[in-house]
Amino acid sequence: MTCSLRTRLLTGIIVGMILLLTVFSLLIYGVIRSALVKQFDTSLASVTHMLAASVELDNDKIELEFEVQQMSGSRLAGSSEFQNAEHPTHYQLWGPNDIVVAKSPLLGTDDLLRIKGSLNELVLGTSQDKNGQPQRTAGLKFMPRIADSDDKNYQPPTNVQALTLVVARDAGDLHSQLRFLRWLLLIASTAVIALSFLIAAIIVRQGLNPLRSIAAGIAAISEDDLATRIGTTSAPAEILPIKNRLNDLLSRLEDAFRRERRFTADVAHELRTPLAGIRSMIEVTLTRARDTDEYQSVLSECVVIVENMQTMVNNLLMIARLDACQVTFRHEHIYLCELVNSCWRPFSEKAKERKIAFENQVHNDITVDSDRENLSMVLSNLLNNAVEYANDAGQIWVTAHHTNDSVEITVANTGCRLTNEQVEQVFDCFWRGDSSRKDAGVHCGLGLALVQRIIRSLGGFTTAEVTPDGIFTIRLVLSQQANSGRKGC
Amino acid sequence: MRLLVIEDYRPLQQSLAKGLREAGFAVDTTRDGREGLWYAMSNEYDVIILDLMLPGVDGLEILKKIRTQGRKSHVMILTAKDTLQDRVTGLDLGADDYLVKPFAFKELLARVRALLRRSYRQKSPRIRVKDMQIDLTTQRVWRGRDEIQLTPREYALLEYLAMRAGQTISRTDIWEHIYDFNSSASSNVVDVYIGYLRKKIERPNKPRLIKTVRGRGYVLGAQL
Repeated sequence: MTCSLRTRLLTGIIVGMILLLTVFSLLIYGVIRSALVKQFDTSLASVTHMLAASVELDNDKIELEFEVQQMSGSRLAGSSEFQNAEHPTHYQLWGPNDIVVAKSPLLGTDDLLRIKGSLNELVLGTSQDKNGQPQRTAGLKFMPRIADSDDKNYQPPTNVQALTLVVARDAGDLHSQLRFLRWLLLIASTAVIALSFLIAAIIVRQGLNPLRSIAAGIAAISEDDLATRIGTTSAPAEILPIKNRLNDLLSRLEDAFRRERRFTADVAHELRTPLAGIRSMIEVTLTRARDTDEYQSVLSECVVIVENMQTMVNNLLMIARLDACQVTFRHEHIYLCELVNSCWRPFSEKAKERKIAFENQVHNDITVDSDRENLSMVLSNLLNNAVEYANDAGQIWVTAHHTNDSVEITVANTGCRLTNEQVEQVFDCFWRGDSSRKDAGVHCGLGLALVQRIIRSLGGFTTAEVTPDGIFTIRLVLSQQANSGRKGC
Repeated sequence: MRLLVIEDYRPLQQSLAKGLREAGFAVDTTRDGREGLWYAMSNEYDVIILDLMLPGVDGLEILKKIRTQGRKSHVMILTAKDTLQDRVTGLDLGADDYLVKPFAFKELLARVRALLRRSYRQKSPRIRVKDMQIDLTTQRVWRGRDEIQLTPREYALLEYLAMRAGQTISRTDIWEHIYDFNSSASSNVVDVYIGYLRKKIERPNKPRLIKTVRGRGYVLGAQL
């Protein structure tokens, strides 16, 4: 869902409010309505009972008691509820055989609905009068009272039959009261919802302020200024993790950018120095006419520098391609012992000159499943380094053995003068041992960085260590789990 | 004029030394920071060309030491570091010039000459001593209207005397500014070269330019 947090919160609050208010209003309405109806019915029931009590059976004749008759008969008795023309109360009395015995004069020719029920049971109901006005009715089937007789010999009639009385009272008041209540509740609810919308809008706006300030903070960060951090002021507990993660992310970004800048600066530096050499050699040579030998010596020196630059650029390109996973490896079974011997060949002459002893301790049948071209580049780089930095009359040896799912290869040489701290940096780009640059321009400090990246891409890792007696060891661990034919990352 | 080149990249160092020597300077070179510092402290160089990334002692460290010891040498930083901060740091530590690699050798020479003029308070690239004129840029010398052909060594000697025209300069002083560390010549050779120079620049019918101050050295032009 793309709708804003503000809309979501507001919608949630308002829908909740509407739901709650509706339920409460209905509840309140129900309770009040039932109370009002109950009161109305109680009054109706008492009138019904009073009327029923006023019916008398006198010598098999049904009579309404005088007061009631008068009360109900006289149109002048304005105080009587039976006579209230606005909200009249009607009654109708049926004798046996559904003969109407008596009814309110106000009813005129109309009849009330006769209610069927069991004896002495008050049946309540709602109906409409002839004008369509709502009215409540109460019906009662009852045994009429036998008229008192002073005659001692009087025999009460034996076949007394039940009469039916229906009393209907106009419920207009009740309904208008309930209607008023409904309106009251509706208007109050609407007002509360409208007010709560305003308040919720303010609260949500206030509540979302920290988010807005973080957004503003992020927006203010440009790529040149990654050192700034978001929200130095304290943030709410919910926002704090987001802020902290963002700041962590910024730190990592800043580090990456710094590394990138340093790398670019290093590359520029490493290319400028040999370029300066070439340029100055050529320009100095051109300041005057010189003999052929001199030209030749300057040119061949320039070629050496160009070759070194080319190696460096190739290494950089290889590193960039490895980092971007653009190198495809072809895995095959390689006999390590053979590979080490073939990689050593180019350096054997130089080693002999410096009386460095080389020992290939790799067992004949150790194989490794890897990319031949890249693995030989790795070994050549390591052996080249070893010859370069081993002491005169020192030693170089290569070992290899299988461990669980991997092959471990070590290349070691004597005469290392690096400290442990320096050894931790040997795989960094452009790092040179003790920065003495004995061969400044020849070794640009990319060899071991390249080794590390190739091995990583081949599915392994590299470590370097130096012992106090100056033995420098590079360890390559190549994973041998099914990885043939996969790409370099 | 005597220069010191502290640069650890061998091809650059060698070609610089060669070019500067051919331009008539006495040049000492070193590839190590510690050695460079020792050279700079033990001799009065006119200009020191200093790389920043050096083995042993860092270039900026050398610069700081030179300045705290009150050495008067002009220092030109020659480095591949080209950021504004690098330049500002280098210049603020007391460097007189900052040149970024790679550079044109001609520019380096021109800047060295400018530094030399500054160190001898010469604004103009032409020095006039009585009726003799020296063009420091083209290294040509005239007496009146006649151009005088000098060997590089003779020119170097004349240039040094001309830069400090009017001052009495001792043999050791001359020797230290004309000959580099590896030269086997002793300070006696100065007298020989003064002789050669006199033969070429003095005219019998004109006033003498180079005068000998007994026991103290030589002076070009009128003594101040």
